[in-house]
Amino acid sequence: MAITATSTVALVREKFPQAVVETVNFRREETIILLPEHLVKVCAYLQRNQQYTFLSSVTAVDWLEREPRFDLVYHLLSIPNQSELRLKVRVGQRGEEHPSVPTVSGIWPGANWYEREVYDLFGITFAGHPDLRRILMPMDWTTYPLRKDYPLTGFDLPEPHWGGQVPYDTDPGVGSQTLRTPYSRELNESRSKISQSQEPGTEKK
Amino acid sequence: MQKQDIETQYIIEDSQSLEDGKRIDTMTINMGPQHPSTHGVLRLILTINGEIVVKAVPDIGFLHTGIEKTAEAKTYHQALVLTDRMEYLSPLCNNLGYSLAVEKLLGIEEEITDKIQYVRVLLAELQRIASHLVWLGTHALDLGAMTVFLYCFREREMILDVFEEISGVRMMTSYICPGGLQADLTPAFDGKVRAFTSIFLDRLQEYHDLLTNNQIWMERTKGVGILSAKDAIAYGASGPVLRGSNVVWDIRKAFPYSSYEKFDFDVPVGTNGDVYDRYLVRMLEMEQSLKIVNQALEGMPTGAYRVRDPKVAPPPKWQITGSMEALIHHFKLYTEGYRPPKGEVFVRTEAPKGELGFYIVSDGTAKPYRMHVRAPSFANLEALPLMIEGGFLADAVAAIGSIDIVLGEVDR
Repeated sequence: MAITATSTVALVREKFPQAVVETVNFRREETIILLPEHLVKVCAYLQRNQQYTFLSSVTAVDWLEREPRFDLVYHLLSIPNQSELRLKVRVGQRGEEHPSVPTVSGIWPGANWYEREVYDLFGITFAGHPDLRRILMPMDWTTYPLRKDYPLTGFDLPEPHWGGQVPYDTDPGVGSQTLRTPYSRELNESRSKISQSQEPGTEKK
Repeated sequence: MQKQDIETQYIIEDSQSLEDGKRIDTMTINMGPQHPSTHGVLRLILTINGEIVVKAVPDIGFLHTGIEKTAEAKTYHQALVLTDRMEYLSPLCNNLGYSLAVEKLLGIEEEITDKIQYVRVLLAELQRIASHLVWLGTHALDLGAMTVFLYCFREREMILDVFEEISGVRMMTSYICPGGLQADLTPAFDGKVRAFTSIFLDRLQEYHDLLTNNQIWMERTKGVGILSAKDAIAYGASGPVLRGSNVVWDIRKAFPYSSYEKFDFDVPVGTNGDVYDRYLVRMLEMEQSLKIVNQALEGMPTGAYRVRDPKVAPPPKWQITGSMEALIHHFKLYTEGYRPPKGEVFVRTEAPKGELGFYIVSDGTAKPYRMHVRAPSFANLEALPLMIEGGFLADAVAAIGSIDIVLGEVDR
């Protein structure tokens, strides 16, 4: 029997009943939501036994109000079977600044850069990643721009703008832009109360 | 001696060591970001032993513009123009990928008429030829063949003239939009495309004459920058890079979108996965694209150029001036935009550089909650160290040219 996305979903449900949170079919796209601790096991199984050898992308979505806060999204592709599948894990408890997920770069070497990108823009760390550095933003950047509590206009920078970098000993403040949710507004306010010596985006002492 | 690169935190090692009784001197040098042959602002940190590249570490992000973040603050039709600016050598292919994703999210794929689909295919293939022409010109220029560059840009100009004819803009057209096309084709469109298709096969032969059997070209490209099929898949390389490594994979064939299943074309693949194979794959792809353009031109159906749903596409101008309801629709569309249902889609398309994926998450509002772009150049660039490590420094230039990166898309 040919492997299709639907058959894979059924197979994963059967093989790893304790790992699957739920499965979703929206617009004929199959999604399996997994528990983070079972992610590597399921991925390895799909890559080795079900010919999902091609990892298209790894990305994240920040649901600021929800708990767990982040969705990590993996798009898999099976070239021999022409089948596509989406895996998801939910991570990030309230107050957890850097949620951690096991890396899949041991299974698909290409995941290395995708995971660096997610780390760079969302601040999610990948346990066991061989080279977890920032990739798109400058290396001395302290915050994570794609998070929903990061204002679109960035933090107010004191003049002169030193190449977009926030000098460490200044109050970062927050741009005047209104954020989407009450939670983030509260966060906004507390951010502007950050002490003089504190680096933006770091945990309060 | 060990020191750390300030920008990348990458440990630089200049060392002298003995291996098998021979003294090895390695040196770390910097290539880019201001280097003509890196096609933009790519920086490579190369550890070299004499002329041999021992280790290559790409450093990207110099063109990071935060397009994914910006898109979250725009309505769906405003975010369209951002996609042009990512991969600025093939904006129409990006428009197509984005439009397909939004249409899938809205659930209006069935309403897209044959006319719209054919025009989209035609333009996407013209764009593929234009993109490959820029690649061919710059790639040949990197390796010392200057003439080809001038010829390629001459032909590309004809394609840009076609885009200007239909949209008024040469490059950032945003002509393909969710719900159809921005405007109808003009009467002069057909003639301009035919003027191009009638000469292009001969011109393609000219490029073949200049390069394909050229001894110097073959010396510079054959057996250089080899990427095995297994590595190409493992690293997520796609498009001509994957096909050059002898993997028959084309999204247009595997998941036909926008009526590609109605067109007759072949998928060229290479055998060795070296620079020469990737060169040949792209050259043959241009021929296939021309074939598709001709078929689309011959079989062009008549019909509306955008969907009739006034919630997605604006009503025609004559209705706006005469009907109150149409005016309200027009106003609501451009002030509020449309609201797709809650959900998420990931749409793959075959862009000139490879697999272009748009992942759009909707929370039911008029703005995308999250837009992620699976950029082909990003993944292809990740496989670059595999191609150049162990080869000559001069061959690194050939390999960079052969993967055809656009940094606007890598960094987004």
